[in-house]
Amino acid sequence: MVTSTTPKLDRRPSRSPDREPRRLGFGQRLGRWDVKLSPYLYISPFFILFAIVGMFPLLYTAWVSMHQWHLIGGQGEFVGMENFLHVLQQPPFWKALRNTFSIFLLSSVPQVLLAITIAAVLDANLRAKTFWRMGVLLPFVVAPVAVSLIFGKLFADQSGLINAVLGGIGIEPIRWHADVLASHVAISSMVNFRWIGYNTLIFLAAMQAVPRELYEAAILDGAGRLRQFFSVTVPMLRPTIIFVVVTSTIGGLQIFDEPRLFDQFGLGGGDRQWMTVTMYLYEIGWGSQKSFGRAAAVAWILFIIILVIGLINFSITRRIASDSAPKSRRKQKR
Amino acid sequence: MRKTTRKMWAAAAGVTGIALLATACGSSDSGSGEPAADGDEQITLTIGTFNEFGYEELIPEYESLNPNIKIEHKKAATADEARANINTRLAAGSGLSDIEAIEVDWLPELLQYPDKFTDLTSDEVEGRWLDWKSAQATDPEGRLLGYGTDIGPEAIAYRADLLEAAGFASDRESVAALFGGDDATWDKFFEVGKEYTAKTGKPFYDSAGAIYQGMINQVEAAYEDPDTLEITAADSAEVKDIFTTVLTASTQDKLSAGFAQWSDDWQSAFQNDGFAVMLAPGWMLGVIEGNAEGVTGWDIADVFPGGGGNWGGAFLTVPTQTEHPEEAKALAAWLTAPEQQIKAFKSKGTFPSQVEALSSQDLLGQTNEFFNNAPTGEILANRAAAVTVTPFKGPNYFAVNDAMGSALTRVDVEKTDDIDTSWTKFVEAVKALG
Amino acid sequence: MSAPSIPVIQQTAGRGAARAAANRRKSKGAGSDRRPGWVTYAILTLVILISAYPLYFAFLLATSDSGTIAQNPIPSLIPRGEFFTNVERVLSADIHFWKALWNSVIVSTVTAVSVVFFSTLAGYSFAKLRFKGRGPLLVFVVATTAVPTQLGIVPLFIVMSELGWTGKLIAVIVPGMVTAFGVFWMTQYLEGALPYELIEAARVDGASMIRTFWHVALPAARPAAAMLGLFSFVGSWTNFFWPFIVLGPSNPTLPVAVQLLQATYFKDMSLIMAGVTLSVIPLVIVFIFAGRQLVAGIMQGAVKG
Repeated sequence: MVTSTTPKLDRRPSRSPDREPRRLGFGQRLGRWDVKLSPYLYISPFFILFAIVGMFPLLYTAWVSMHQWHLIGGQGEFVGMENFLHVLQQPPFWKALRNTFSIFLLSSVPQVLLAITIAAVLDANLRAKTFWRMGVLLPFVVAPVAVSLIFGKLFADQSGLINAVLGGIGIEPIRWHADVLASHVAISSMVNFRWIGYNTLIFLAAMQAVPRELYEAAILDGAGRLRQFFSVTVPMLRPTIIFVVVTSTIGGLQIFDEPRLFDQFGLGGGDRQWMTVTMYLYEIGWGSQKSFGRAAAVAWILFIIILVIGLINFSITRRIASDSAPKSRRKQKR
Repeated sequence: MRKTTRKMWAAAAGVTGIALLATACGSSDSGSGEPAADGDEQITLTIGTFNEFGYEELIPEYESLNPNIKIEHKKAATADEARANINTRLAAGSGLSDIEAIEVDWLPELLQYPDKFTDLTSDEVEGRWLDWKSAQATDPEGRLLGYGTDIGPEAIAYRADLLEAAGFASDRESVAALFGGDDATWDKFFEVGKEYTAKTGKPFYDSAGAIYQGMINQVEAAYEDPDTLEITAADSAEVKDIFTTVLTASTQDKLSAGFAQWSDDWQSAFQNDGFAVMLAPGWMLGVIEGNAEGVTGWDIADVFPGGGGNWGGAFLTVPTQTEHPEEAKALAAWLTAPEQQIKAFKSKGTFPSQVEALSSQDLLGQTNEFFNNAPTGEILANRAAAVTVTPFKGPNYFAVNDAMGSALTRVDVEKTDDIDTSWTKFVEAVKALG
Repeated sequence: MSAPSIPVIQQTAGRGAARAAANRRKSKGAGSDRRPGWVTYAILTLVILISAYPLYFAFLLATSDSGTIAQNPIPSLIPRGEFFTNVERVLSADIHFWKALWNSVIVSTVTAVSVVFFSTLAGYSFAKLRFKGRGPLLVFVVATTAVPTQLGIVPLFIVMSELGWTGKLIAVIVPGMVTAFGVFWMTQYLEGALPYELIEAARVDGASMIRTFWHVALPAARPAAAMLGLFSFVGSWTNFFWPFIVLGPSNPTLPVAVQLLQATYFKDMSLIMAGVTLSVIPLVIVFIFAGRQLVAGIMQGAVKG
C-alpha cells in the first residue's frame, strides 16, 4: 500500500512487530503513559454509559429472575432457580424456541447471502451511485404500521395478494396464518425485507476499503468477476462477514416486532405457531400473568442461548472465511 | 479532502455539545405547584387517555372554570399502548398521570393492587352510573376506585338485504322479534342462523370468538371462584358447554365466516357479503361504516340474546402516585358527570354510562344514517339497561380468556384442531397458569 | 477462440452463467473501473423496485381517501389526488407535528454524531491498540447486545426517573449515545481497513495517540463511519417504544406523534399513511447526504494525500 510491492492479503493484526522503547526522557515517559492509558480512555465512554444503561438493567433482570415478582405488585419472595425450572417445563417455551430457530434460519441465511451479493453488485462503478446504494435502505425506514399493513395484504389467508396469484396459477392457497412453516416463511420475508438493505450497506462499506490494486492484479492474473469475488473480496471482508453473521444471529434470535404484528392478537397464533421467545417473554411479563420474575428468567435463558449460538457461528465463520485466505495468498505469490 | 473531514468532525462535536446542553435544559413533563400572582396555588394536572374520549373541548372548559388549574392531556393511540405505559410506570413506581384512563378489560388486573389507586368514593357521585358499571370498578371492600366514562352496550347489527334474500323480514322490529325480542335467547339466535345458512349456504356471523364473548359475559363467575379466586375454568361444565355450542354452530353448522376480527380478511369481508350479522357495541358502528363503505343495507335491531351485553368501556382512576389527589378527583368527577359525558358523546360518540345521560334527549334522539337512520341512541340505551349480569373477573380472568381465545381461533379461524382437541389444549394451558 | 454469444450461453448454461460471462467480457482487460452492463442495472432495478414498493404503497394510500381504500383492498398503482388534503389533515391534527419533527432532528443528529465518534474511538482501540483484557472486553461488548431489550425498559425507566429526566429529550439521547453495535462495527471495520503502516508512520513522525486517532484513524474510517452514522440516525428516528414510554405528548419524537393518528376505532389509512410518508421525507434527505460519503478507494486517498 505505502510502497509498490505486492500488497499483503494477510491482515491479521498481531503480525506487527513490537517496538521496544529506547531510553526514556520525561517527554517520552509521558508518551509511554499516553500509549498505555489511551486505549482504556478511549473505550471508557462506552463502558461508563453502558454501566448505567446496559449493566444495571442486566443485573436488575438477573435479580428479578430469582424472585417471585409481579410487575405491579412488586418484589415477592426469593425463589432461586424456581422461575427458570418452571419456564423450562412449559411446552409453550419449547414451541417458542422451535419457532425462533426456524424463523432465525429462514431469515439470517438468505439475508447474509443476498446482502453480500447485492453489495458486490453495488460495488461496481455505477452511474447514479447514490440512488442505487441508498435505495436498498428504503425498507428500513418504513414505519411498522405501514409494513404490517402491506404484508398483511400480501399474506392474508383469503384476500391476500399472494394467494390470489397462486390461485390464478392453479396452486392451492397457502394458510399463512395457520400453517407453522408458512407463517415462518411469511414472517422471515418481512424480516428479510427490512434488514437485507441494512446488511448490504455494511458489506458495501467494507468493500469500499478493499484496495483496487488487488482487483487489478487479479484481473491481470486472468480472474473473472466471480473468481475475483471469491478470491479477493470475500477474504478481505472476513471481519465484516463475522460481524454480520454475529449481529444477525443475535438479532435473529430476538425477533419480536414482525411476528407480533402478524395478527391482531399478538400472541403468535392460536397454537403459538409463530410465537418467538421474546414474544413469550413479553406475554409472561406484560400480558395477563404479569410475572416479571418468570419473564426475567426467560430473558436470561435466551441470553445464554444467544451467547452459545453466537460463539458457534463466530467460530464457524472464522474458519470458513480464513480457508479462502491461504489459497489466494498462494495465488498472489510471485 | 482530509481537512474537510477534520473540520466536519470538529463542527459535529461542537454541535453535539451545544445540542446536548440545549436539550438537557429543554422542555419537560408536567411540573407541579408554582405560586401564581394571585396567591392561589397554580397546579398542573396530567390526564392520560387513549383512543377517543371526546375530551378535546372539555379540558379547556374546565380550565376556564378553574383558572388555577392547568391540564395536560396525554394521549396514547391505542388501549394497548396505554396499558404498556401504565404498567411500566406502575412497576417503576413513578411517572403516572394524575388521572389515568383504564379500559375495563384490564381494570381487574390493576385492581388486584387497590392500594395503587385512590379511593374515589363520594356522595357526590352516588348512583351516578349504571349498577353494573360502577360494580366493575369497586373493590371487594366496597371502595370505588374508578369513575365510569363510556360503555359498549351491544345490539345486533345486520345486513337487511342479505336477510331479505334469505326470506326473512328485514325491518328492525321484525328482526328483533325474529330473535325473540326482549326474551331473546342464544338458542333462538343459533336457530335463525342455521335457517339462514341452510337457505343461502353463506356464513351467518363473522367470528365465533365474538359470539362466545357475548355469551360468556352473561355468566356470573365463568372462570374463577369469586370467594377463593381459584381457577375453575378447566373443570367448568358451563364453560365447556358454551364453548362446544358456539363452535359446533360455527364449524359444523357453518354459521361462522371464520375470521379473526380486525384482520385483513375480516375487513375485506365487509365488501363482499362475507356475513349477515354482527354483535355490535356503539363504537363498532363506526368501524362497520368505515369498512363497509359503499355497501348499503346495514341496519341495527334492538335485540340481544340473553337480554344485554357489554363490550368495552373505560374508567378514570386517580393513581396514588399523584401529588394532587383532591384536585384530580374533582376533575375526574366533573369529566364523568352526565352533562360532560353527553358533550363527549356528541363529539366522539362515546356512549355514556351515567344513568341521567341515558335519558337525555341528545342521546335518545340520535340516529345513524349509515344504519338506515336507526335510532341508535335509543337502541343502545335500551340494551344498556337490559344488562343484568356483572361477570366476576379476578386476577386470572384475562389469562384464561386469552387461552380461550386461542382455543376458539384454532377451531374457527385456523381450523387446525377439532373441538375436543382444542378443549384439551385449553385445559392444559389453564392448568399451567396455576 | 470464438466464444459463444451471451444468448447462447443463457440458453445452454442458464441466466447466472450468462450474467457472469457478460460481466467477464466487459471487465476483462479494462480494469476494475469498467462500467457494468445492463444486466447489472436490471438486477439493481429489481432490487430497488422491491425495496421501494412499500413506501410507494404508503404514498398511494396517502393520496387516496378512506372510502376508496375500504372498497379497493389492493389499490391501483396510480396515485389519486388527495395527497395534499391528507397532509394538511396531518399537520392540523392534535399531534404537535412540527415540534415532534424538530425533536426527532435533534435526537437523531446528536445520537448519530455521538455514536460515530465514541464507537470509532473505542473501535480504534479494540482493533489497533494492544492493551490488557482487549479480547474479553470485546466479547463482553458484543454479548451485551444479546440481552433482550423488552425487560430493560422498566429498570431504564427507573434510572431516568431517579435522574429526573423523564419527559426530556435527554432521556432518549443518553441511552443511545454509544452502542455495542457501533463499537463492534468500527472494530471489525478498522481491523480490515486501517493498516498498521499508516499508524506507525504517524507514530514515527512523533504524533501522540490522540493525534494519530484524529489524523489517521478517523479519515480511514470514513465509509464505515458514514454508514454507522446513517444507521444510527435512521434507527433513532424510527424508534418508537422507548420515546413513547419516557417522553410526554407535549414533547414527542416524530414516530410517537404520528402514531397518534391511529387513535380512533376505525383507522383512517389515508391519514395514517400521509403521516408515515411525511416522516420519511427527512430521512431521504439524510440518505442523499450520507450516500455521497460512500465513495470508492478511501485507501488511495489516504496514501496519496
